[in-house]
Amino acid sequence: MANALDSPHSGQVSSFEVQDENRILRRWTPILLRTILIIATIILVIGVGLMAAQTGGAYVSRYRAIQAGKVYAREPWGDLFRQTIGGDPHAIVTTGLMVLTLVPLARVAFCFLLFIRERDWIYVLFTAYVLAGLVFGIVLGRVG
Amino acid sequence: MLTILGGLILLAVGAGFVGALSGLGGGVFIVPALVIVAHVPMYAAVGASLISVVATSAGASVAFVRDGWTNLRVAMLLECATVTGAVAGAYMAGHVSPWILELLFALVMLQSAYFTIHKSDTEYLPKSDALSEYLRLDGEVPDDEAKPIHYGVRNVPGGSALMLVAGITSGLLGIGSGALKVIAMDYIMHLPLKVSSATSNFMIGVTAGAGALVFLARGAVPAAIAGPVALGVTVGALAGSRVLPHANVRALRTLFVVILVLIAIEMGWRALSGI
Repeated sequence: MANALDSPHSGQVSSFEVQDENRILRRWTPILLRTILIIATIILVIGVGLMAAQTGGAYVSRYRAIQAGKVYAREPWGDLFRQTIGGDPHAIVTTGLMVLTLVPLARVAFCFLLFIRERDWIYVLFTAYVLAGLVFGIVLGRVG
Repeated sequence: MLTILGGLILLAVGAGFVGALSGLGGGVFIVPALVIVAHVPMYAAVGASLISVVATSAGASVAFVRDGWTNLRVAMLLECATVTGAVAGAYMAGHVSPWILELLFALVMLQSAYFTIHKSDTEYLPKSDALSEYLRLDGEVPDDEAKPIHYGVRNVPGGSALMLVAGITSGLLGIGSGALKVIAMDYIMHLPLKVSSATSNFMIGVTAGAGALVFLARGAVPAAIAGPVALGVTVGALAGSRVLPHANVRALRTLFVVILVLIAIEMGWRALSGI
């Protein structure tokens, strides 16, 4: 895949520049993904740890409510943020899960920027469509 | 309380481990584990599973990208179809009866079992068709002597159509749909099997992420389930990927097929009997 990012749709791109793009992609994609993954994991470990430390059967009653079919808990994001700062375990875990979903978003955004740098407009269009699809998913989830 | 939380984590570790060892991903095993063993409603299991698929695929695909097996152009092109399907599937998941999801899951399990038995490499295509050539989807893979071998690609519309189906099943059922993705790239578009697998790995996170975002924005990912499951599946998948190079996967294949068929029977039975 040495030529995975060289392009027929771009302007004149030298082989040096193409190699540079590949180097950037291969070096920075893993770093980017791992950094987000580590941050999300730390938040999740803290949240799950606090869940385990909860007393008075709070976790069990939530678990039983989910088993009984009470799955939905749509909250305004401002409230979620405040509860996370306040140390609520479930809000912390939800925040961790949200950070985790940044991994695919960041991956596509990174490729989008690379294709723009290469002026490979067809693939800029494809990655823009994928990014728009991910954002549309958030909107659809909020309203639907 | 610790029994339930610990049990969930252990269940997720097991699902992640088997998912990595079988190459089918954690979602295929965590959804039935949550529904059948932990008695979690199908819809909550799907939301939790989508998140765990995102977590595991992020780690799995890094090595493939680094080593150059992933065809990023093919991935980006086909993600247009999978993301469209995943968003539609995740939206529909909130509006269809659980028994339909369970029945579909049983059918996908049977398809995965068939794929596990019949997985085989196709011959390298020397030249791409006109559309694939225009989109510069061809690439190179290193052979044993580290000399690059060129491969072509064909039938982008056929591959995209199956990718749309893969996206819908991912969003609806909480799985990565890796088997369908590999079929689309290997059988329909004639990419080499290892390139198909690596590219599928790269795509799974984005597809599952699209579905997960719909579920998260809807407030339909219960933290009490999804948190421990995401951590457990990640640990299990890491352990599975460490064991994989030393495991006799060919011998384990029969075991995986038996597990998949048993899950299909159980989920199908639940769907038809309305448990």
